[in-house]
Amino acid sequence: MSSFLNEISTVLVFGLAYAMLLFIISVGLSITMGLMGFANLAHGSFAMAGGYVTVTLVSQMNVPFAVALLIAFIVVAFLSIPFERFLYRHLYRRPELDQVLLTIGLVFVSIAGVTFIWGPDPHLILMPEYLQGSINLGFNIFPKYRIFMIVAGAVIVAGLFYGLERTSIGAKIRAAVDNRRMAESCGINTGRIFTWTFALGSGMAALGGGLGIQILGGIKPVFAFEYLVIFLIVVAVGGLGNIRGTFFAALILGIIDFAGKFYFPEGGAFVIFAVTILVLLIRPQGLFGKA
Amino acid sequence: MSKPILETRDLAKNFGALAVTDNVNFALAPGARHAIIGPNGAGKTTLINLLTGALSPSSGSVYLAGGDITGMAEYQRVKNGIARTFQINTLFMGLSVIENLYLAISERMGVATSLVRPAGKDSAVMEEAVRILNILKLEEDSLTEIHELPYGRQRLVEIAIALALDPKVLLLDEPAAGVPTTESHIILDAVDSLPKDIAVLIIEHDMDVVFRFAERITVLVRGAILAEGSPDDIAANEEVQAVYLGEGSHD
Amino acid sequence: MTAITGADTAATAEAVKFLQTRHRFHWAEVLPWVIAIAVFYLLPGYRLLATQILVMILFALSLDLIVGYAGIISLGHTAFFGTGAYITALLAANNIPDPLIGLVAAAIGAAVLGFLSGWVLLRTAGLTLLVLTMAVTIMLGELANDFDEITGGFDGINFTNSEIFGLIEIDQLWYTSSYIYVLVVLFLSFLLIRTIVHAPFGRMLIGIRENTKRMSAIGTPVHQRQVLVYVISAAIAGIAGALWVQVQGNVTTGVYAFELSGDVLIMIILGGTGRLYGAFIGATVFKILESLTEQILGTNQPYWQLTIGIVLILTVLFARRGLYGIFEDIGEKWKDRSQ
Repeated sequence: MSSFLNEISTVLVFGLAYAMLLFIISVGLSITMGLMGFANLAHGSFAMAGGYVTVTLVSQMNVPFAVALLIAFIVVAFLSIPFERFLYRHLYRRPELDQVLLTIGLVFVSIAGVTFIWGPDPHLILMPEYLQGSINLGFNIFPKYRIFMIVAGAVIVAGLFYGLERTSIGAKIRAAVDNRRMAESCGINTGRIFTWTFALGSGMAALGGGLGIQILGGIKPVFAFEYLVIFLIVVAVGGLGNIRGTFFAALILGIIDFAGKFYFPEGGAFVIFAVTILVLLIRPQGLFGKA
Repeated sequence: MSKPILETRDLAKNFGALAVTDNVNFALAPGARHAIIGPNGAGKTTLINLLTGALSPSSGSVYLAGGDITGMAEYQRVKNGIARTFQINTLFMGLSVIENLYLAISERMGVATSLVRPAGKDSAVMEEAVRILNILKLEEDSLTEIHELPYGRQRLVEIAIALALDPKVLLLDEPAAGVPTTESHIILDAVDSLPKDIAVLIIEHDMDVVFRFAERITVLVRGAILAEGSPDDIAANEEVQAVYLGEGSHD
Repeated sequence: MTAITGADTAATAEAVKFLQTRHRFHWAEVLPWVIAIAVFYLLPGYRLLATQILVMILFALSLDLIVGYAGIISLGHTAFFGTGAYITALLAANNIPDPLIGLVAAAIGAAVLGFLSGWVLLRTAGLTLLVLTMAVTIMLGELANDFDEITGGFDGINFTNSEIFGLIEIDQLWYTSSYIYVLVVLFLSFLLIRTIVHAPFGRMLIGIRENTKRMSAIGTPVHQRQVLVYVISAAIAGIAGALWVQVQGNVTTGVYAFELSGDVLIMIILGGTGRLYGAFIGATVFKILESLTEQILGTNQPYWQLTIGIVLILTVLFARRGLYGIFEDIGEKWKDRSQ
């Protein structure tokens, strides 16, 4: 019985930590796709940029981890603005294929760029002492970082929902996602909303990129492609532009993915894809998407 | 009235709690010239979509020439003789006028999945395409791509495609919508000269058009039929007047 | 040319003539084949690269059928390429080494997979379809890695082909008969594809690309037709995969690489979609660019990714009809001037 509890709690804690990470990175992608109708395959590149900014700040400039995360968020959010203004905006009305290809092009360039600067090998950072080691919760022992990831994720999720539900900018974003034309006729400047939302989403991705360094085994150039598929899956399963849906999708898929790999170390990686295919066949618009 | 070609019984469609089509019992006679009018949001286009199978009803049924077609897919209904035009042009924008017609005719004639013989070699399809071009006087634009045509000409192509399907029933969703009044007579002439054996159901806002064209009028308000009768009956109907005057006007 | 009754005006007569003669061969269509034969004799040192290009052209053509003609976006076409490759290799490794049987089996196997996946996947569209095509491909790749006692994993399986018709051996060293073999298969497949796209079926595909809503309204069972073209495309991709491993005598799980799905999509975008010869130009330029970048700048740094990334961005922004579109424009200008 205790070994059962042991296994379950391991799967839940590790899965939950991974799920939080997935949500933090994917939510921006979901909004970009739901709000702007733009298939941004370069979203993983923004997350990767956040990871590299964090690595550089922590290991070369001795900036504290938490501060580095905050700087990564701000730097990438601002860096993403010109991309939206000068590149993406021209393609909002173009076919999906064009959007996909342009952003794949950006992914290639970003992979090349980070390899030139940081090299092809994964970069890890030394975590601050309070996040090292394990914590004993009586029934099981967990790495402190996973617990931190869950707590940090919960705080970020709560902050995001609070911001969207209770602030006026949040109300405008929700209005624009729900019905763009209606929002415009109410005098909301959707162009500006797009820019700020995009920056926020990219910043969140960067934050996720920094938080994920430890969990994903370091940051490396192929990150932008390797995890893109997972982010897209989370968005598609959650329903485009549906923040709550993205959260639950991340939760379900994160835990299932970890459980798959935990119980079937040989072929567990494909479990998440099988689940995705099943879900999208029954509900093509995603679990929580509008029909 | 002779046996209806198209008929609905207790047809209803709900979007959530909103009844967009509310127990509609409606019949279209063979060769009819029938109009549906009603204020914005009356559910006119929804009704068309239910008739063509683009939407499936929440309850009730649709009959074509006496046979139940409620469960029939849109493409099968087309093959059984129901054709439509769209309120907003829904055409193959990157293709020429003759190619737009070609696609409709090759599908109707059952050659669209032919894999070997070059498309242009099928004389029967080509002759039919040319015949439709001539009927709607689109000859000069045969090779013009749709996106290069003015909106009014595009509206004609909408009708041409529907006609190319050799329908028994033709559903026209505001055929003159978006066309400048100076040009709308071309479209209305085309509507007037449709073959008499086709039953035509037209949705229209413009009362002049309705009264010029229709032999029978159905008034739809909030998804339900408010009144039905000859143009004179409808013109004299106080309830109808109240709806139109009460809601400001038709636009 | 058959006269069409009613085509009395100059405009309709011209339109009819245009449709009746559109499928005819243009003299320039002989060029790719002349070049392919010239490369064989004049640049024997590049036969390996040229063989790879020929196979990629076939793969790109298969993708163009669904992306360029039917407007179905897929990032998972390697599923069929890889399946064709494995079927052929496994047959050859298990005492059925005839290359032609290998091709046919690859086509059938890939077609079956195309039917099964297409029937369910093609009920979705847009991003969902994109994600699903990716998911299927990655899943197959994972399975191939998991069952490495069958697939050979990263090391792969080696095999030998028997002689074609019991006469011609596919040489895996000098790419002499194997080059010709690939060229002939490409040529025949191309003729087939060219026939299909000029037939009513091909026109119907363009209709689906242009407007699915309108297609349903003219009586087209859109989903069935999409599945049909998906199956045809899958079969051809399977043949391409089979060729790819037959000339090497080796197959690895790399044939399921998700990256290859992206590469082949990039090829047809570079060349131009929905115009057949775009696949020829795109695959050639892509592979030559790749090999040039690697030869000149080396593989120790990701110069290749940088190059292809920039080329892709520029193509989407400034040359949406691809290189073939640019050639068309130049051809038009030249015609205007000479008139």
